[in-house]
Amino acid sequence: MAMIDEPLYPIAVLIDELKNEDIQLRLNSIRRLSTIARALGEERTRKELIPFLSENNDDDDEVLLAMAEELGVFIPYVGGVEHANVLLPPLETLCTVEETCVRDKAVESLCRIGSQMRESDLVESFIPLVKRLAAGEWFTARVSSCGLFHIAYPSAPETLKTELRTIYSQLCQDDMPMVRRSAASNLGKFAATVESAHLKADIMSIFEDLTQDDQDSVRLLAVEGCAALGKLLEPQDCVTHILPVIVSFSQDKSWRVRYMVANQLYELCEAVGPEPTRSDLVPAYVRLLRDNEAEVRIAAAGKVTKFCRILNPELAIQHILPCVKELSSDSSQHVRSALASVIMGMAPVLGKHACTGLNLKSSHFVQKMSKVKAVACSPIPGLTWLEQHWDATIEQLLPIFLSLLKDEFPDVRLNIISKLDQVNQVIGIDLLSQSLLPAIVELAEDRHWRVRLAIIEYIPLLASQLGVGFFDDKLGALCMQWLKDKVYSIRDAAANNVKRLAEEFGPDWAMQHIIPQVLDMISNPHYLYRMTILHAISLLAPVMGSEITCSKLLPVVVNASKDRVPNIKFNVAKVLQALIPIVDQSVVEKTIRPCLVELSEDPDVDVRFFASQALQSSDQVMMSS
Amino acid sequence: MLKQILSKLPRKSSKSDPLDCAGSDSSNNATNFGNEIRRSNSGNATLNGLNVVKRMSSAIFPASVTAGMEVVEPYLSFKDVSNAEKQNLFVSKLNLCCVVVDFTDPDKNHVENDLKRQTLIELVDFVSSGSARFTESAIAAMCKMCAINLFRVFPPKSRSNCTGGETEDEEPMFDPAWSHLQIVYELLLRFISYSSLDAKVAKKYIDHSFILRLLDLFDSEDPRERDCLKTILHRIYGKFMVHRPFLRKAVSNIIYRFVFETERHNGIAELLEIFGSVISGFALPLKEEHKIFLWRALIPLHKPKSVGIYHQQLTYCVAQFLEKEPKLASTVIRGLLKYWPVTNSQKELMFLSELEEVLEMSNMVEFQKIMVPLFRRIACCLNSSHFQVAERAHFLWNNEHILNLVTHNRQVIVPLIIPALERNTKNHWNQAVLNLTLNVRKMFCEMDEELVLACQGKFEEEDLKSSVAAEKRRTTWERLETAAGYQPVIGNISILVKPATCSVTC
Repeated sequence: MAMIDEPLYPIAVLIDELKNEDIQLRLNSIRRLSTIARALGEERTRKELIPFLSENNDDDDEVLLAMAEELGVFIPYVGGVEHANVLLPPLETLCTVEETCVRDKAVESLCRIGSQMRESDLVESFIPLVKRLAAGEWFTARVSSCGLFHIAYPSAPETLKTELRTIYSQLCQDDMPMVRRSAASNLGKFAATVESAHLKADIMSIFEDLTQDDQDSVRLLAVEGCAALGKLLEPQDCVTHILPVIVSFSQDKSWRVRYMVANQLYELCEAVGPEPTRSDLVPAYVRLLRDNEAEVRIAAAGKVTKFCRILNPELAIQHILPCVKELSSDSSQHVRSALASVIMGMAPVLGKHACTGLNLKSSHFVQKMSKVKAVACSPIPGLTWLEQHWDATIEQLLPIFLSLLKDEFPDVRLNIISKLDQVNQVIGIDLLSQSLLPAIVELAEDRHWRVRLAIIEYIPLLASQLGVGFFDDKLGALCMQWLKDKVYSIRDAAANNVKRLAEEFGPDWAMQHIIPQVLDMISNPHYLYRMTILHAISLLAPVMGSEITCSKLLPVVVNASKDRVPNIKFNVAKVLQALIPIVDQSVVEKTIRPCLVELSEDPDVDVRFFASQALQSSDQVMMSS
Repeated sequence: MLKQILSKLPRKSSKSDPLDCAGSDSSNNATNFGNEIRRSNSGNATLNGLNVVKRMSSAIFPASVTAGMEVVEPYLSFKDVSNAEKQNLFVSKLNLCCVVVDFTDPDKNHVENDLKRQTLIELVDFVSSGSARFTESAIAAMCKMCAINLFRVFPPKSRSNCTGGETEDEEPMFDPAWSHLQIVYELLLRFISYSSLDAKVAKKYIDHSFILRLLDLFDSEDPRERDCLKTILHRIYGKFMVHRPFLRKAVSNIIYRFVFETERHNGIAELLEIFGSVISGFALPLKEEHKIFLWRALIPLHKPKSVGIYHQQLTYCVAQFLEKEPKLASTVIRGLLKYWPVTNSQKELMFLSELEEVLEMSNMVEFQKIMVPLFRRIACCLNSSHFQVAERAHFLWNNEHILNLVTHNRQVIVPLIIPALERNTKNHWNQAVLNLTLNVRKMFCEMDEELVLACQGKFEEEDLKSSVAAEKRRTTWERLETAAGYQPVIGNISILVKPATCSVTC
């Protein structure tokens, strides 16, 4: 080719590509910015490429987004951290564009660069950038600036620190609510870098202003700051400053505010200490668990385990457990669903506290206790109180748990099943198998294919928890049945599932329980099912290894190449291509290639296409070996 | 519905009252409100009466319902008290209505609900009869009552019950308390449009916070409520000149939040409807603030995927701007091109029709500023495999004004369009589109055959070269990759290599 001799100008290539009408080409060239930088070398990247990018930011948002992302990891290409500051100008401009995704990405990249920069460079170039953005004319710049303070602040000298705090407090009082929202949501991050003396004086007054903002949307974000700030303050300050705010927020008339509180109340417990938790936070949380608005109950129910983990178990049993019982029959299925996804964690939490007093390992104790329950006698003298206590807890939890497992709403059942590993730990699978199996079977046949899909995805987990024995008897047939589902996604997931089972239980087991059943189905009259089997074979082959593939799987595939449906035939070609790296070279020569050669002369154009593609790849494998 | 309720109310005066028409057009569109604001005071507020009320009502306000009984018993009917007492009774009744009743359970509080409803109807009737006098205390009581009843937090959007969740039916939600709210809105509307209402006093109560909270209500899911709000806000804009800049700013903020943060708001269409008439009232030359509103708020409103819900109102607002200032056309078109939809054909159709409307209002100078990027985009639309989009793009040439603009600039435009037309004649699947393409090409031939032939020739040439160009691009990048490989770089950098896909998808 003649053009090989033409001189290569990397910048010119980029300029040319960025002028192209086709956005995909522009996007591709931005994605390969690092190639251009490497071709240019560090110095020319700094002096030519980066200035060019700073001036050319008038492109589609999608291209700008890619640019913002690429620049975030560009330090090595400009010559390391000592030159990192050259990357700031193009990102500064990107911080001011209209599109939110671009701005967010630019801020993220700036933070990434800033956190690596040398202190002197931060003072010299990063902090001035933050100040410029914070004084920006349009709200976009000011919004972006809020996310950069936590990087700028720690390296600033004392006077600049004062200035930065003042600027931040101004941003919190900006007249655009967009800016105040951004300031409110970044307050936690910024506060974490501020010295504790200023924290109490400056940051808390900013926080108090935000909690009284006239826009709901700003107050809402202030709630988010509560937990973050709470963790920074001394417990007594937290009690005086944060606790009253959060308690009043928990009774706010806006459900969105209460929802936020419900979501993060547990994080405050540690910050305020045990006494205020008992006197204020537990009642607040109980109120939220019984809120009128289902959305709030959903959020609260979802945190029930996390909350209990912090409480002492007696408080949890006394105050939270009754609410949990109510929630398990809540009128909203979403509340029940949220509860179902966390409730499994409750038992070990409540039990663990009971155990730690006696220095017993939780799981050990749990196993003992479940045995205790089974045989109704006490093997360790002196544990009587605890046993009763533990038993009582389980006795209260178990019905809740079983009723959720029988819930009319499939999501609720699914959420319980998805935490099966925890079930096993706590109650032992024997107790449950009676209720579990019907639930699984019912979900497996649910009329919504998404539900069926979800349960298939849990099958490997179930398999590992329940063990081979249980699995063989009860679930094997279901797995085969899914391969013949009428929805493609289910068949696809089912094929994946048999592969994962083969991985879990090993090739020997698979040879007995999966392979024969799967191969049987290759003669199904419906071509779509035959196709599923081909797919399953291509997935199983790597797991089963070369020998079984050659002896069992390959003949079936080769046989399928004589199918009357062209779609099967070209899928045979695809599967054969996938098998080439797995089997021995001689098998490729003797079996696979002849079959592909035959297919490459098929009357159907697609079959010929895929066959010749497979042949090509077998050539490549040969050449490389 | 509003009219039905009002028609049931007993009318005291059958005389033609100017406020009667205020009531009847409240349910109509609000665009003709300007006339009303200018209506002179009806003059039934005598100075004497005002004084009496002021003195006495100061004892009532801000007393709550339970207190203040010693002045006027609120359960009395307006008929049963003397004229002097009427104003007192008015305030008492307003205070009585500050009790919010629960409507979620229809069986509960039946008596209480009916009583409040009755009182509210009496109030509407009293105000519409023209005998109310809005003293400061009455205004305060009115605003307080409206605030307590109207300013509420909307419940979360109900989640759909089916697990599939694929059918998101957009049925509007109706507030169970509407039968009450409606009368409160009616009252507020009559109050705002009350001819003798002194805006200077009222603005103390209808203040920024009141307006912000009123604006918050625009997110209501109940279309009836948004309709009431629209009328009311429009009147507030008309009546309270001092609040106009604030109102514009507050609405811009709602739009920014909607476009850049949440993409969720139920009342954008209604807000834009108000702005349609607000914009048409802007004085010339346009203030910078108003132009910024166009660039920063209206044009980005084209971005959200729900643009269909308010597109008609949006186009109207944009058109109002162009009518005032045709020089804005190129800015608007550039904005449309920036937010041009890539995958959403329904949205693309809307953009095309808006584009036609904007072009219709553009002059030659403006047109020339943007014609190159514009016709590149139109060329893509001509080739769209969605036949409606392709069809709609072809129809642009049916427009006389656009055709005229194109003809004048054919040296630039024809070379951009001919390749698209050629591609269509070669392989567009839809027969109707194909016919349209042939028509447009024929039209170009009639316009300037020589130019068309030259462009066709060039297109075929480039078509041939395109695979060469792609190959060249590939090798250039390959060479860059090699060149890059020679350069030492700090840190490890992964080179883009596409791994051969192993799994088979059947």
